Amino acid sequence: MKRLFLLMLIACFVVSGGLIALGQDTETVTITVRCRAKPPMEDWRGNNFIGAAKGLNTDLEAAGDPRRVEVVIIQDNIDWGDYVTEFVLSYVANEEPDIWLTGHEYIGVQAEAGRIIALDALIKEFPGFNSVIDSLWNSTSYKGEIWGVPQDAEARPLYFNKALLGELGWTANEIAALPDNIEKGDFTLYDMLTVAKEAVDKGVVADGNGFWMRPSNGPDFTALYYAFGGETIDVATGKLVFNEVAGLDYYQFFYDAAQTYGSMGGLGLGWGDAWHPGVSGSKVLFWVGGTWQWAEWAELFLKDLGGEAYMWETFGIALIPAAEQGGQANSLTHPMAYLISSQCEDPDLALALIEYVTDYGSNTRHAIASTHLGILKDQTEYKFYKDSRLLSETLYMLDYTTFLPNNPYWGPYSTITYEALAAVVGGDFTPQEAVEFVVDGLQRELGDDVIIR
Amino acid sequence: MKRRTEKIGERGKPPLPVLLGTRNIGFSRMRGQLAPYAFLSPTLILVTLFFFIPLVMVFILSFTKLDMTNFGILEWWKPVNWSLDNYVKIFTNRFLSRILGNTIMYVAVTLALFNVGMALVIALITTHIKRRTGFAFRTLWFLPRITPVVVYTMMWRALAGPAPMGVINKYFLVPLGIGGGEYLLHTHPWVFIFLVNGFIGASFGMILFASAIESIPKDYTIASKVDGATTWQTIRYVELPMIKWPLLFVTTYQTLSLLTSFEQIMLLTDGGPGLYQTEVWSLTAYHRALTSYFGNTQWGYGAAWSVVLVIIGVVMAVIYLRVFKFRELVEEPKIDQL
Repeated sequence: MKRLFLLMLIACFVVSGGLIALGQDTETVTITVRCRAKPPMEDWRGNNFIGAAKGLNTDLEAAGDPRRVEVVIIQDNIDWGDYVTEFVLSYVANEEPDIWLTGHEYIGVQAEAGRIIALDALIKEFPGFNSVIDSLWNSTSYKGEIWGVPQDAEARPLYFNKALLGELGWTANEIAALPDNIEKGDFTLYDMLTVAKEAVDKGVVADGNGFWMRPSNGPDFTALYYAFGGETIDVATGKLVFNEVAGLDYYQFFYDAAQTYGSMGGLGLGWGDAWHPGVSGSKVLFWVGGTWQWAEWAELFLKDLGGEAYMWETFGIALIPAAEQGGQANSLTHPMAYLISSQCEDPDLALALIEYVTDYGSNTRHAIASTHLGILKDQTEYKFYKDSRLLSETLYMLDYTTFLPNNPYWGPYSTITYEALAAVVGGDFTPQEAVEFVVDGLQRELGDDVIIR
Repeated sequence: MKRRTEKIGERGKPPLPVLLGTRNIGFSRMRGQLAPYAFLSPTLILVTLFFFIPLVMVFILSFTKLDMTNFGILEWWKPVNWSLDNYVKIFTNRFLSRILGNTIMYVAVTLALFNVGMALVIALITTHIKRRTGFAFRTLWFLPRITPVVVYTMMWRALAGPAPMGVINKYFLVPLGIGGGEYLLHTHPWVFIFLVNGFIGASFGMILFASAIESIPKDYTIASKVDGATTWQTIRYVELPMIKWPLLFVTTYQTLSLLTSFEQIMLLTDGGPGLYQTEVWSLTAYHRALTSYFGNTQWGYGAAWSVVLVIIGVVMAVIYLRVFKFRELVEEPKIDQL
């Protein structure tokens, strides 16, 4: 009887041990990936993780790791503000995504609040990240640590309408030479406004449509502030900076553009119902946009006219002109980055998945579909990347690129400086009043966290 | 109410506990006292949970600097973190006068022209024509109210679109040679804000006024006609005085509703196209508290804008009650006192 009991006990141990082993084999870790992506162009931001999960599970099995990943992808095209609010509120409720794709400039706020983890130590265990262009790591670094993995980059160039320039009497050679002239600093921002005014005066475009920027607050304006010599960050202290002299020139430019040169009529328009139809519909002569919008116009607005083929005939791309003759033309890059929540229970698995989507195939797939620039070393040599004309022709812009600062107070800084810009465009402020408004607003809102120069 | 109780006593009816006997006096009295609260309790609970507690929380939040950067970190409920900074910021805001002016214009014009004015006109017309026709017209006018607000507003956005896509431009303005087919929300944003809100708002008053007019005993209107009154005189001297109560209710309710409504403006213009061009107070509160391109939503600051709006609403309600002589309206009909 005793022996029987002992045998039964052993059998129980064997069975339960087997069950535990089986249970370990099937231990599933769910990783939630949250991306902001405009369908269908940017769907690969999230969809690349489907293949990544398969690859990682194979690796885990080979390594004898009992964990298996299952990814839940949530992606849509909601406003940036709502997107950030969603992450913060869900974090407090412990329902946030494990992997969160966002603009690099949000890193400061989230790192300070402890909602994301620094990746320096973990990244060393995944050599695949060595292929990321070194300078892009700067955009995801904050206080000396890396907090995110770059996902894509872009140029924010000046677009011009070749057909409308032709109507103004420009020859094909003059039009073709414009990007070079801008790159050399021979064609300045005010030269552009002069041509814009001529187009308005001759009835080639409607008043207000000579030159447009994006219709609401966003990164693009900062590129023009930089063009006038503005700074946003003090390297020594990491504090935000506002230059009064550069600011005055910057606001004077937009005041002149709106009040004298028949431009900036696009400010305040809706994106889908007026802004995109305006620029893609040849109603605007010059405008600053993003390279990713090229894919949007081809797919959503100009498909019937021939998509990209029509666009290459009609639109030209150049750097944002310099403020003065011989000055530096520029562009702005706003890398997106994958961040990992500090409440993620398996950050190693999350980072392993990110490594899988940070390879030439996955990243190029996204770059081509969304006309974003690649983030990997020698990606331009990759056959399928090289085949994209837009990506190849805008690549040189990375040499002239600028970034937004990574600072937790960039949000209020940007809101105040944009309000002043909208006020000068609307004629509510003179440029001097705009500078005074910004200085007063920044000092009241940020106190010692901003330096006024 | 007090006077009424005394009257019953005077008429010689003994109070309920006396009828039940002295033993149960205590219990019955308690039951009598608790009964009204039992009936009120569902509403009390709902109002406490969904109005009073949030109001207190918003009030406290308005004294804090709670925002995206310190959410989950700042102990906003502790008085040590309270200050009047948000209110100082509001009343020194460079664009305060524009936002306040927009709010007053939005509420006054929409209320006067549509929510009360047009509602009254439609109610009067549809109650003075054939009953079935009037009913059918009111039903049609009610459609925007039962349409989801986003769908309804997006339809208006499409209508206001630039030529050749926008229906108003394509079929009306361009053929008549008016304008150059511009995006009408950009050139005439306020017109569309009034129309979009007004068409919905008018339906509410229309239903209430029409019901009130139809409930006036026919004897009065027949008597006025026998006395030789014109239709206008019947409306002016018989019908309008008899619908004072719904007029007070609609005016007060719609004022408060317009003060706090912003969804149509947000969907139409989002406060633009110029800086704060169509921004009203409630939309500012929403923008400050819940939206920002770079995610710097300021919940404490937004709450302060809301609290000021609540105070404005309460003051407006008190003014209306005095202007419409609320006390007189709720007095017992004089005929019952005879």
